[in-house]
Amino acid sequence: MSDTSWQPSPGDFAIAPQHQTADVITRPSMSYWQDAWRRLKENKRALFSLYLIIGLVMFTVAGPYLWNIDPSAQDLDQIGMAPGAERNVTVAPAYTPWYGPEDSLTYAQDNRLGLTLVGVATSQAVRLAWQAPQKGQTNYGYKIYRTLFALNDGDAFGLPLMETQNEYFEDRLDLQPTDYYYTVVALDRHGLETDQTSTIQLTVMRVITLLEAEKRGLTEDGLVKEGDQIKLALHPFGTDYLGRDMLARLIYGGQVSLFIGIFAPLLYVLLGVIYGSIAGFMGGAVDQLMMRFADFAVALPFLLFMILLKVIFGIGPGESGVLPMLVAMVILLWPAPARLVRGQILQIREEGYVSASKLLGAKTDYLVFRHMIPNTMGVILVTITFQVPSAIFTEAFLSFIGMGVAPPTPSWGSMCNDGIKSMLTRPHELFFPALFISITVLAFNLLGDGLRDALDARMRNRE
Amino acid sequence: MSRQLGLYFVLAIVFVAGLLFVLNQLAGIMSTATQQAQAVDFTNNSISAVLREEPPQLDSSKATDSTSGLVLGHIMEGLLRMDLQDRLGPAIAERWEVTPTHATFWLRDDAKWSDGEPITAADFIFAWQLALKPETGSEYASLLYSIENAEAINSGKLAASELGVSAPNPQTLVVKLARPIAFFDKLVVFPTFLPIREDFYNATQGRFGSDAEELLYSGPYVIKRWVHSSNLLLERNPHYWDSSRGKLAQINFAYITSDATATLNFFKDERIALARLQAENLTEALRLKWPIRRFADGTVFYLEFNHRDDRVSRNLNFRKAIQHSLDMEELVYKVTKLPGYLPGKSLFPEWLIGVEKSLREEYPASTVSVDAVKARAYLALAKEELGLTEFPEITLLTSDNPVSNVQSEWLQEVLKQTLGLTIKIDKQIFKQRLAKMSSGDFGLLLGGWGPDYNDPLTFGDLFASWNLNNRGRYNSAKMDAFIATAQNAVETKDRMMAFGDIQQQLFDDVVILPMYERGVTYVVHPQLKGVKRRVIGAETDYTYAYIDPDA
Repeated sequence: MSDTSWQPSPGDFAIAPQHQTADVITRPSMSYWQDAWRRLKENKRALFSLYLIIGLVMFTVAGPYLWNIDPSAQDLDQIGMAPGAERNVTVAPAYTPWYGPEDSLTYAQDNRLGLTLVGVATSQAVRLAWQAPQKGQTNYGYKIYRTLFALNDGDAFGLPLMETQNEYFEDRLDLQPTDYYYTVVALDRHGLETDQTSTIQLTVMRVITLLEAEKRGLTEDGLVKEGDQIKLALHPFGTDYLGRDMLARLIYGGQVSLFIGIFAPLLYVLLGVIYGSIAGFMGGAVDQLMMRFADFAVALPFLLFMILLKVIFGIGPGESGVLPMLVAMVILLWPAPARLVRGQILQIREEGYVSASKLLGAKTDYLVFRHMIPNTMGVILVTITFQVPSAIFTEAFLSFIGMGVAPPTPSWGSMCNDGIKSMLTRPHELFFPALFISITVLAFNLLGDGLRDALDARMRNRE
Repeated sequence: MSRQLGLYFVLAIVFVAGLLFVLNQLAGIMSTATQQAQAVDFTNNSISAVLREEPPQLDSSKATDSTSGLVLGHIMEGLLRMDLQDRLGPAIAERWEVTPTHATFWLRDDAKWSDGEPITAADFIFAWQLALKPETGSEYASLLYSIENAEAINSGKLAASELGVSAPNPQTLVVKLARPIAFFDKLVVFPTFLPIREDFYNATQGRFGSDAEELLYSGPYVIKRWVHSSNLLLERNPHYWDSSRGKLAQINFAYITSDATATLNFFKDERIALARLQAENLTEALRLKWPIRRFADGTVFYLEFNHRDDRVSRNLNFRKAIQHSLDMEELVYKVTKLPGYLPGKSLFPEWLIGVEKSLREEYPASTVSVDAVKARAYLALAKEELGLTEFPEITLLTSDNPVSNVQSEWLQEVLKQTLGLTIKIDKQIFKQRLAKMSSGDFGLLLGGWGPDYNDPLTFGDLFASWNLNNRGRYNSAKMDAFIATAQNAVETKDRMMAFGDIQQQLFDDVVILPMYERGVTYVVHPQLKGVKRRVIGAETDYTYAYIDPDA
């Protein structure tokens, strides 16, 4: 038995002296996302890219309301026009067939064959008439050439247009408002060219008929008559090989490209995340099995699947292949994010805080949603942003080889495909869609870069 | 340690450099043809050129494509050939005669195979029997059907030996005709009629035509070397009888490519002597002031309707609606923009000869002018007659090349704007397109037809109810009667009148819509003379070509 004679009395208790308050070092409480956003904002490149992406999305979504032009309407008067090309046009009477010159025509005296322009040279037709070199000489026929460049002695005459027995010729082939040099060569009895030639230079005037002007809606002020000068429809980015407005096509093409570019990665990264986290979390034999299946999926050829899906979906020729493209991407491209996420999960599973949480009795769903997913979120977001450009490229590539959108629907990829054929003569047809693809891809890449830095938890407190 | 690493590093670099050097040398030895390609080589009297495709094989009984036709035109010679003025002339046959029942060819004595053996009538008989045997599977066997029993042999009902051809002596070939055919002599120009020697054919054991050694040549050139998919070297045939042909010692098809830009660059670098121009590189050619030439390759392109009972295009007013909406001049002058193309007015191209003048001058084609109001009226009428509330989507079957792409998109837009029709474009590669054409799996079809022989009938019988190339299955007793006249009449005048009737019937019934006649624009090296472009036979014929070093 111990001595229990001591009894505590109130005197034994005293209020403890207040501690000296130390300097409090605080900062505003910040969630993970707030912090990430703050750091993203500091990264000028990433922020600019983000605005660029928002701008591009606005361009394709709001574009059709601001630039209300049918992307498949063909303006055949302005085929392959560069941006900012001359648009003045004269209203002229409708084309009527021509069967040779009037008798009253006075032939030019300053060239050998009396080669003369009949009427006015317009983009509808250039009409030429000439006479035999000597009166009464037998006519063995003539050859007519045309070129865009001034001719010196001994030069080839340019593009052969026609061989004819007539002493007149009408040219209607792709006449542009520019200077042309026409040459007529008399042939001998064997059909060979003689030295009896004449060349004239003329300037073609662009014309449009009243009917066409009305059809294209160029006569809004109503009071247009023949001989008036009006302006052709405005195409700020020029037109393509069928006279379709490039700006409208870029807007509508962007819808397809960005749709695929954003939705496909969202879907297959989501699938990959689910798959990868299950595999990583379960571990062991399940992990092995699931990852070997992922290896199998990697080995499947994309193009073949694309074609198969087109057949399965009953997508006939001439119909849009965007849906099978989306499905093919989801089916075949998930293994990459799945592997990435699995690796992360495997790593996180072994972390101390997870073990601690487990010891404290945390259930599986708590572990996954509280610890695993937030810690892989950075990786996931970055994967998505990096997959976007690759999806846009895939769409461009598939449309480029004709597996994507069906004409007349444009997409940036198919526009590049069309533009590359005339790259040397009309570069704007390739330049603009290529520029838009490049900007989009670059913006997503820079944003992904910025996001990776911003979302990396280890960099959280590093300033 | 690091010293050793450094040594390894240096060794690796030396090894890679050495390997590159050796490989480069080897490549130089292996591909002499390509390395030394020179457009025009006067000292060796040789030229270089480009082939668009590799010939699948050069067995004349099976050849169908134009590249095979081009090569065969240089290495083989048949009974008759087209001369420089595109007239029918003697070749291995010195003279010939066609009667309503028989065709007889007298062969020259000095015609020899490239191994020195004489070419005899038996060689022709063997070749024709071979083409007709069902197991050969020749796609052009039907060209031989005018010979007695040919059709029965081709369908397997008779033995090949029953063919109505005989050789009373080695230098005479007598053909018994199944029906009177006035232009049988024009037919024999076609490659299917070229001779093949039986003992040589059997000795190749089924590899005939697949390689340079597996061929026996009757023409002015032999294949010296054939590197598949790379190049093809032709050399003068020493046993060839006609000294007016084969002036060039060698023709080197140094490249096999269909890439227009590559071809143009080869020409620019003086690697090849002839290059085709596309719309995109015309301006460049004009700027460089190359001598440009053009020729019409004889092919006619048209929009074909599906006349089968389950298609809306069986309705005449529907077809008329389309006829009144499409401006083929706009198509040619503004959309296609290729020089040498002529807006189509008729199935019969302008170069066909009629009685005296051209067929088209003797029988001008009817035309309509484009009229959107009329077109819509016709369409409304068609809607009523067909009992439709709305027209279904219509599939336009087309081939996959830049020119057809532009044209089909133009067509799609015009029909949408004018008639409100929805057109789906079905682009297919050649084989697939052919399969769909045969099974009738199309609504509209961008079709074309190149001539097989120099007679309007090569176009004229296309829309006979029995012709398998009548893809839309147009069936009209009236048309069949006109075609029968064209086939069987012996007088040229009667036949041409029948062609005039066919042309009018095609127009009245809007069986097809002629779109354009194709033209080709090309550049030739200024020193190379005498290159002949042909509508029938070898498209580019160098057999009369020679080098003029002073030009």
